[in-house]
Amino acid sequence: MANLFPRWTNYVPLKLAICAGIAGIGIIAAFTYYATPDTQRVGYMPSQPIPYNHELHVQQLGLDCRYCHSFVEHSGHANVPSANTCWNCHQHVKTDSPKLEPLRRAVDETYENYDGKPIEWVRVHRVPDYAYFNHSAHVNRGVSCESCHGEVHEMEEVYHAKSLTMGFCLECHRNPENNIRPLEEVYNLDYDADTYLAENQEVADLVEAFISNDEVLSEKAGKLSSQQKLGHYLKNHWNVQPKESCATCHR
Amino acid sequence: MSKRVLHHPEVPADEAATNVWRSIREHEDTIKFRHEAIREFYDEEDTMSDEERDLSRRNFVKLMGASTALAGLGLASCRRPEAYILPYADAPEWVVPGRPLLYATTMPSAGASVPLLVKSYESRPTLLQPNTSHPDNMGTDSHVQASILNLYSPSRSQSFLKDGAKVDKAEFDAFFAGVQKNAGKLGVVFGSDESPTRNRLAKALAKKFRGIKFYSYEALENDAANSTIDKAFNANGVKLVPQLKKADRILSLDSDFIELDAKSSALDYSKKRQGGGDNYDQEVDEKKMNRLYQVESIFSLTGGMADHRLRVAPSEVSKIGVAVAIEANKTLKNDKLAKALAGLKADIKPAGEGEEAEKYAKYLKEWVANCAKDLISKKGKSLVLVGTQQPAELHALGLALNEALGSFGRTLKAYASKGSKLGTISDLKADVDAKKVDSLLILTPSNPLFDAPASVDFAGILKDVEFSIHVGERTDKTAFGSSWHVPATHYLESWGDTVSSNGAYSVIQPLILPLYPNTFSEVDILTALLKGGTLAAPTAQEPSAGYYEVKATFAAEVSGSASAWNELLKTGFNKKSVLKPVSFTGVASQKALAERYATAPSAEALEVILAKDHSIADGRYIDNAWLQEAPDPIVKLTWDNAAIVSPKTAKEIGVYDKIVELEKWNAGRPEIGEASQARAPKAKITVDGVEVEIPVLVGFGQADYTITLPVGYGQGADDERNSADKFDANAPTVGHVGLNTGFNVYPLRKEASEFLLKGAKVEPLKETYKVASTQEHHAMYGRALAREISTHESNHAKGDYQKQLDNVAKQGMDSHIPPNIPLYKSKDKEQKSLLSDEIHQWAMTIDLNTCTGCNACLIACQAENNIPVVGKEQVARGREMHWIRMDRYYASQENEYDDHGHMKDKKTPSWISDNPAMIPQPVACTQCESAPCETVCPVNATVHTEEGLNAMAYNRCIGTRYCANNCPFKARRFNFFDYNKRNPIIKKNLYRGPFGEKQVGSPEHLQRNPNVSVRMRGVMEKCTYCVQAIELAKIKQKQITKKKAEAAGLSVNAIISKEDLRVPTDAVKVACQSACPSDSVSFGNLLNKEDKVNRAKGSKRNYELLKYIGTFSRTTYLARVKNPNPAMPDAKYIGLATINIH
Repeated sequence: MANLFPRWTNYVPLKLAICAGIAGIGIIAAFTYYATPDTQRVGYMPSQPIPYNHELHVQQLGLDCRYCHSFVEHSGHANVPSANTCWNCHQHVKTDSPKLEPLRRAVDETYENYDGKPIEWVRVHRVPDYAYFNHSAHVNRGVSCESCHGEVHEMEEVYHAKSLTMGFCLECHRNPENNIRPLEEVYNLDYDADTYLAENQEVADLVEAFISNDEVLSEKAGKLSSQQKLGHYLKNHWNVQPKESCATCHR
Repeated sequence: MSKRVLHHPEVPADEAATNVWRSIREHEDTIKFRHEAIREFYDEEDTMSDEERDLSRRNFVKLMGASTALAGLGLASCRRPEAYILPYADAPEWVVPGRPLLYATTMPSAGASVPLLVKSYESRPTLLQPNTSHPDNMGTDSHVQASILNLYSPSRSQSFLKDGAKVDKAEFDAFFAGVQKNAGKLGVVFGSDESPTRNRLAKALAKKFRGIKFYSYEALENDAANSTIDKAFNANGVKLVPQLKKADRILSLDSDFIELDAKSSALDYSKKRQGGGDNYDQEVDEKKMNRLYQVESIFSLTGGMADHRLRVAPSEVSKIGVAVAIEANKTLKNDKLAKALAGLKADIKPAGEGEEAEKYAKYLKEWVANCAKDLISKKGKSLVLVGTQQPAELHALGLALNEALGSFGRTLKAYASKGSKLGTISDLKADVDAKKVDSLLILTPSNPLFDAPASVDFAGILKDVEFSIHVGERTDKTAFGSSWHVPATHYLESWGDTVSSNGAYSVIQPLILPLYPNTFSEVDILTALLKGGTLAAPTAQEPSAGYYEVKATFAAEVSGSASAWNELLKTGFNKKSVLKPVSFTGVASQKALAERYATAPSAEALEVILAKDHSIADGRYIDNAWLQEAPDPIVKLTWDNAAIVSPKTAKEIGVYDKIVELEKWNAGRPEIGEASQARAPKAKITVDGVEVEIPVLVGFGQADYTITLPVGYGQGADDERNSADKFDANAPTVGHVGLNTGFNVYPLRKEASEFLLKGAKVEPLKETYKVASTQEHHAMYGRALAREISTHESNHAKGDYQKQLDNVAKQGMDSHIPPNIPLYKSKDKEQKSLLSDEIHQWAMTIDLNTCTGCNACLIACQAENNIPVVGKEQVARGREMHWIRMDRYYASQENEYDDHGHMKDKKTPSWISDNPAMIPQPVACTQCESAPCETVCPVNATVHTEEGLNAMAYNRCIGTRYCANNCPFKARRFNFFDYNKRNPIIKKNLYRGPFGEKQVGSPEHLQRNPNVSVRMRGVMEKCTYCVQAIELAKIKQKQITKKKAEAAGLSVNAIISKEDLRVPTDAVKVACQSACPSDSVSFGNLLNKEDKVNRAKGSKRNYELLKYIGTFSRTTYLARVKNPNPAMPDAKYIGLATINIH
């Protein structure tokens, strides 16, 4: 009996398998790149009812983060300012700007379209409901806004700068020295450990002394950045021991 | 390594004299029971119901496939949904988003108002806590804890009704304007709580309108007794307030003064119970301990706490009371008592003839004599309490006995109201009949059309009056029966004032604007009536009329200064008493009392007790799902009421046989309340020609020939049952929650002050009724779980009090405990302790010496941890979600011991063996250090924290339920359905899947604690020691360290030590702990030696549950100490519940 299938068909399964393999790898690669929080969340920049400009208010006008996000040190939530906070200045400045129309609607009782209803800001950073992130626990222990929110002070419009995945949280909970800074510098988004230590020679000496006295750290001192050295110093002196157990964030 | 097998030591044959059980089947110890007790759920052969089978795996995959395909087509889930942040437009002062505020307020109540601190998130009250700074702090009970759910009840009244039909407010306003001009002969019916503002307004109204009359009515108030008491003090509205912290000897004649009959704080009782060791700095000192003699018919929680409990029929309570008084007056020789006793003689001979009866009579005689002697020996520190439902004559006698014992002013204080005299419901009836009242304003929290006694004929009254205005939170029967109904505000929404137990002025302040527009408080209505003007709901800018009235009352009664007012709002009270102390003048002869016990009850003429229900009180909480689902603390029934009879009575009236028969008929099913198909036999109870059909359950410790009928149920039913009001969907007298729950027994009540009925006949019916009881659920049966000891050294080798104390930890299996190795390792590979945290290690103790089993913790836990209700069907299947399980054990000694502690063949007398002791024991996750649940979780959803908590990561749980199988404490609960999203109350709704009715956006979701995840279907959940509260306390400590760092000049120079980061002593209060009215729960940090929990753990009474399996529980228990009077005939049987258990 003649062969039903020609000879070239012998290689078809192999070719198919290779193709499927390549396609599979491609799908996985594409998924990891496009569908994980690193790409899905990072860069998310919804348009806001009022195009509030952080760069203008912080860099040019010198507002502290806590003027508006006033409860960040006292509560789990870093509150978005209530409309009357904005109104403190804007009743005198740029009151008639059309961009501030939603604000006047909310607080300006003399305004014709006043309705007293809150402004609907679009949420940018959002952790899942079952993760209970607490701002006050972090900013009071030397973790800066910048560590999670990026360089907000340079954003003309706020976008999602870091992934805020569980891996991102754990990375810092395991190695807090990469992010801890002196409490005075938490809201200074231009902070740089090298500059800080250069300007505060006494602190730099203390940190160096600490590192060289520590058995483990002194061995790898050469590989540590200034941030890490200072971070280790603060972690040790402030008893910073971030937990990794589930109940730390999930309840 | 080979598998470790635990060999249970054999029980020596002569040691098993104490019988401990939870349910009737456990008492009988059937093979079937043993077989089932080891399973997590019942119904071995049939775990799927018909509904569940419809939703089989095959159907499920079909549905899921279809929905996935549809979802794919629409690509609905590809974009992240946009979320919004809505900050306040104008931020209110003090509100920090994410941080709760605490406000002081008071819950008004007829017994004693309850001072509260309410936790409120962004103006949304979520949890009630006791106001511990209040001088009359009452703690909280289950009714108080659950009252917050009434605020968010979906079936709350929201609109005005005219003759049962919805109308606009304007229509009522127009009508009310006429009443405001001329109230005519208006009768106003208040509740029985005390309110200075109400008293003031009533006086002003009486001045303005000549014909107006005032009454007070609450279904379970004993009007006759109240007026007798008033007369004895020559005052009106007299309140008798026991001062339990001063009482060393208490005789309670059917008074449940710890729970349902509470007139003052139970905390005082529990402090005294600890014999100087309430702070755990010393062991319970027998000499400082109080002693409680309880004479009662129903097992009450107070009876469970009693040292000597006498189980007698209601009429015999009077008999014992008289006998004790006569015996006491032989020594006391008090004139007033002699006068009260004139014509009465001590006759305690029980019914029946023969040797047994003689022996029992002798026993009773000794009981009475020694009880009287003991009361006299502590003259001035003893106290006699009479239950509300007892006849007025016994109340009068109790007063005289208290006078003779020198209780007044010491252990018992009497205060009179400053308000004018209020009539009773019977007075109202007389006035309506005499045309002195021609219209009604009904403000009482009771539901008179449903619960008023037959002789009052409230329906007739409503017909006779020209109009009636009902003000209430629920559209109950009275709301539909009155010509007008005004929706009322909840007490957390209204301004008002009340008086705490010892008379301190206490404010009721609103936590939130009324949830529904056009709801009004009592004060609002009275003010409108007095001052005219339309009823106006409060706004954010303008408070309700009540605010100004309360302020005016406060200025008149206490102080007009602004600072005093601000202090009142801050603390919730002003110490100045607004009650008048009054003194006892005397009572007449109470010889009429003899008639009440002239005939003893028998199987042909039983006695009936119309009892306040542990769950729904007089019926007012029928729409409260938390209370309905909380198992009755004694019989463990949920969602219904049932007639409770003793085992002996059940046999004699032929119901016991019914139960056995039922088991055969229902082959393969357990007999009572234990499974989805469990049914109870029904019986027809006839008293004085009125019939009630109701299921019958057996209650241990119930007096023979008595029937307890809890009132308040059966307010609406659309099924086949008789003895319940017919439910009309157009005039819904109950919401989904209260629909088809229980049976109405109020029709049996003829007279206003008669709660104890005689001559009842019982006829077993063929019908049966489905009941959901939790008493066998999650059983850990057999072992010495709830332990107790006695201060009395009796004859069987258990030794004196000290020796018993030393042996607490060695009771039961623990006496044979092998040198144990933990089941699991406590160190990691690097030999580092897994419980590595050096700042906090959390632990808890529960003190069974003070725990009464009242369910307050269970409901507080439900409120704090967002625990859903599951409905009757699911409870019957053993799927209740309560994280705290309130176990209740009965224990009785059935054989005598010889002097060496060995059991003899001789049986104990029936009055001993039929009168079991009761020990409640709350069990939640004990946070084992070597937790068996953790090693079996395939996804690490339950893991240990460094601080010793057995944590749950709900979002990680895939619902294998392995952990629940491996939990020796049966402390884990599984979400079989999405109880939060799908409404479990509606019948069969859970089985309709996506087509079922959802409750998203339902008002009760506003109560949710924002700091705790709301768990989904398919997730295991359990107690985690309120980890949210622990984390918040730790974070608060971190906030504080910042100040220290700043004080160091440059924060880099600061040293923050472990001590700085440690939560202050006893700073974390978990929900069950703060709710506990008897301070039984201690919680704290093992590494902070100052924490109370460390002292508690140092007590000799401290023991670990199931210690021999070596899981190292963090929650431990403290044994109960009974303090029997050595002279009493039953002393040697007391305090033995677990002494010989294995």
